[in-house]
Amino acid sequence: MIRRVAIVGYAQSHHQHNMQKTREDMVFEVCKEALHHAGILREELDTVITASTDFLDGRTISSVFLSMAVGAFLKDESKVEEDGTFALYYALMRILAGTHDVALVEAHTQGSTFNPHQVTFYTLDPLFDRQIGVLNDIAAAALQARMYMNRYSVSEEHLAMAAVKNITNAAENPCAHRKMPDVSVEEVMSSKVFYDPIRELMMSPISDGACALILASEERAKEITDKPVWIEGVGSCQDAYLRDRNIQNLDSLQMAARTAYKMAGVKEPFSELDVAEVSEKFAHEELMIYEALGLCQEGQGKNLIERGTTRRDGEMPVNPSGGALGADPVCATGLIRVIEAAKQIRGEAGGYQVPDVRRALAHGQFGICAQKNAIFILGGNGS
Amino acid sequence: MGYVKEERPTTISVEGTWNIGSYHYKGSKLMEEYVKGLKQKKLIGSFCPGCGKVIVPPRNLCGRCHRIMDRRKIVSNRGTITCFIVTPPMEKGKLKVLGMDPVETGLIKEGEVVIPVFVKFDGSDSNTDTILLNVDPKAVHIGMRVKVLWAKEPQGALSDFEGVEPV
Amino acid sequence: MRRNVAIIGCGQTKHTSKRRDVNIAEMVSEAVYNALEDAQVSLREVDAFVVGNMQGFGGIAQPEQWLGDSIGAPGKSVIRIATGGTTGGSVGQGAYYTVASGLHDVAVAVAWEKHSDSREAGATTGLLHVGLGNFFHAASYGLSLKNLVATSAVGAAAGVAVFQAVFYMHRSGCSIEHFDMVAAKARRNAAKNKYAHLQWPGCTPEDIARTEIIAYPFRYGHICPASDGASAIVVAEENLARKKARQPAWFKGLAAFSDEENSLQSENFGGVGVLDPSEQKGCWMSATKAYKMAGIKDPQKEIDVAEVYQPFPSQELIFAERLGLFDEGTAWMALEKGETDIDGRMPLDPSGGVNATNAIGSTALQRILECALQIMGKAEEHQVPRKVSNAVAHGWGGVTNYITVTVLGDSPGR
Repeated sequence: MIRRVAIVGYAQSHHQHNMQKTREDMVFEVCKEALHHAGILREELDTVITASTDFLDGRTISSVFLSMAVGAFLKDESKVEEDGTFALYYALMRILAGTHDVALVEAHTQGSTFNPHQVTFYTLDPLFDRQIGVLNDIAAAALQARMYMNRYSVSEEHLAMAAVKNITNAAENPCAHRKMPDVSVEEVMSSKVFYDPIRELMMSPISDGACALILASEERAKEITDKPVWIEGVGSCQDAYLRDRNIQNLDSLQMAARTAYKMAGVKEPFSELDVAEVSEKFAHEELMIYEALGLCQEGQGKNLIERGTTRRDGEMPVNPSGGALGADPVCATGLIRVIEAAKQIRGEAGGYQVPDVRRALAHGQFGICAQKNAIFILGGNGS
Repeated sequence: MGYVKEERPTTISVEGTWNIGSYHYKGSKLMEEYVKGLKQKKLIGSFCPGCGKVIVPPRNLCGRCHRIMDRRKIVSNRGTITCFIVTPPMEKGKLKVLGMDPVETGLIKEGEVVIPVFVKFDGSDSNTDTILLNVDPKAVHIGMRVKVLWAKEPQGALSDFEGVEPV
Repeated sequence: MRRNVAIIGCGQTKHTSKRRDVNIAEMVSEAVYNALEDAQVSLREVDAFVVGNMQGFGGIAQPEQWLGDSIGAPGKSVIRIATGGTTGGSVGQGAYYTVASGLHDVAVAVAWEKHSDSREAGATTGLLHVGLGNFFHAASYGLSLKNLVATSAVGAAAGVAVFQAVFYMHRSGCSIEHFDMVAAKARRNAAKNKYAHLQWPGCTPEDIARTEIIAYPFRYGHICPASDGASAIVVAEENLARKKARQPAWFKGLAAFSDEENSLQSENFGGVGVLDPSEQKGCWMSATKAYKMAGIKDPQKEIDVAEVYQPFPSQELIFAERLGLFDEGTAWMALEKGETDIDGRMPLDPSGGVNATNAIGSTALQRILECALQIMGKAEEHQVPRKVSNAVAHGWGGVTNYITVTVLGDSPGR
């Protein structure tokens, strides 16, 4: 990268179902808190990038009445749609370009405003899949899960084990939504079936939530904090449309990860990464993500779960915060992963802190069967 | 023809309707304070202790100071027109609002002109958009002094504030 | 040390009220492939896309997920940017940052709108829906019906612009005849632009003045159309730009400052503190920053052509002043003297601008694209008859509180 850029502050809401806060208040609070966390004033921001989508917010130009809340009054502002990690990618590009030094990135969704799963139906090919009307994100995920399970002899128990790991991790995270410290594999496997084999506890919950993050160039970051979290590598990639891709692999995630690893100089992700925070909207995706990230061989994701390798106290902890299964305020989910990864590096993760984290990976996704993916490799001062 | 659609040069038009369903917006309770004021024939604005601006109707936060406008101020019922628009005379069949024709339902008289205005009430720092009533359209000008026209029996609703009229 | 970045290819579709021969994906790919062909760049060389349109206007959410395959996006970084009317401008600026960041070397920016796929322009989650959350909120507190009729009579989208025009007339002294002149010029210029929508060779202000008044001071003839169309640009880093293009259009300065909501309500039906929606502080600040980056000290002397986002004719005058191209309150005098014509001292919207062609998501990108064409000398019939060294492209969106300003030039020098 032509400049070094660091995360210097962040904040997130207490994600929950049907939060008793207006969209404006929720967004304002996280932005104010992120500025406070970084110890800077709104006046010091050069640019503000937000992420939301009109369908989920129920308003055309969803950002238009929030510019004041995010602190963009007379600031160079723009809005990226979909996941907050894409907004972070854009903010990073603005700083790398040398035109800005300090950026605020905000992302939010109140899932209680409109059913996010229904919106996924409107992303389908309007001339074919929409007309047939059988697919949405859950149905497609069920197809994907079945294909993946079939190919690599993965059982429903494996899926349930991944869900149990994340949901119990979430219990330690004060910001998470779904907290079930004692959830068992049996409980997951007996929860309501949406589309076989996808059950309620294998899906991310519908959450209201927001998060904000402050990004700064090297010079400014060093002035702002003595604990900057450096962005060492990034990658972003889109897959082909649902019908034209092989949904049993996450090719675009693999490509995004390779780009980011190359930039960060990561050759052996399993041994070089200390923790990963990934956006698994469904339990089976977590196993597929392990493979796409190169944490194990193709088809071996189930072994990591079986052996407890990715537990908080395992060799390669994944989603100590509980991940998307713990809370999923759609557009904010990926950016929350980045914040959680940064917290691990700064040692601010409290009850779910993984010891001695120097390098972490964060993943954001959007679209049916994770069609679009972004990867961030973060490092502390010592890495 | 069965399933074979009428031919067009290169594509066909696929008909469909889209009612995407109900949204559940979260509203702030600020409006409640405002309409309570209206019931007592008072205009309540929000006051920013940072920059001292008073906004009517009250808004939740001040973008300039990036803080919640948690204080209120009552502003005058009188103000100045800062901007106005005169519509052409209204006719039947020209406009549909919420699926009905306002002329046909008698809400607006045939040939009546509607005058949307911005009013800066004394003591406020914002334009409040409303309509100007009981006026000769030719006499309207920027800087005209107006006062609030209240409903006969205020109910504690936005419609208590019917519009403004010349002083 | 900033990376030099240039536009090396432009592509657009013919704009009409109904493109029923293509679907959205086909229309978008038409613009992309035209741009790639113009740039002499193959898809393999492109490593990132920046895309955008108004959400829901074509009835599809996140359409790039479906139509990505048609433009060769799979395997590449695709960022979707949507900021209302400025969407195209934001997409174009996004492509600049994509390449300037050093993360990518060649990016394609594409923006579009296909109004005719909806029964009403912008239906389903259309422009009225900008204030939908606010409207339902107000309705639950007994919004006066007569007030609602007044808002509808002026037109939700045009409403802000009408008020803005009245403010401008009041402080500058211009009159409705000047709006007739701007609209006539837009249609005349559009007649020279083969991609434009409302083309009317020889259109005179009198022709426009004969059209019906919608809400004073706006006539039917002042209002932009709703168009189907797409536009795309290929943006590349310096080495490739110099290799591929005889005259690249270099990005010299850009900014996009947001202001407080102008004259409509704020979230949850609150008021706003902007007293004059024609003040446009955000535009002034964006222009100031963009010129500073570009090393332009006196835009009145150094800018050779401007593409101003003017769905309503008053806005060409308001924003030209805010872009520093004329002294405060004098743009209409320059218009009277013909200075803003294609062969004038400061040509404004030689392409016809938004007033003649408005595919909402795409229009602000078209302003950047048209400036690039003028610099590259490819504007054909509407090429301004002089050497174009610097050009400024403008966009506004939201409730006139979003602004994009992009300065392009014939050399990367600052």
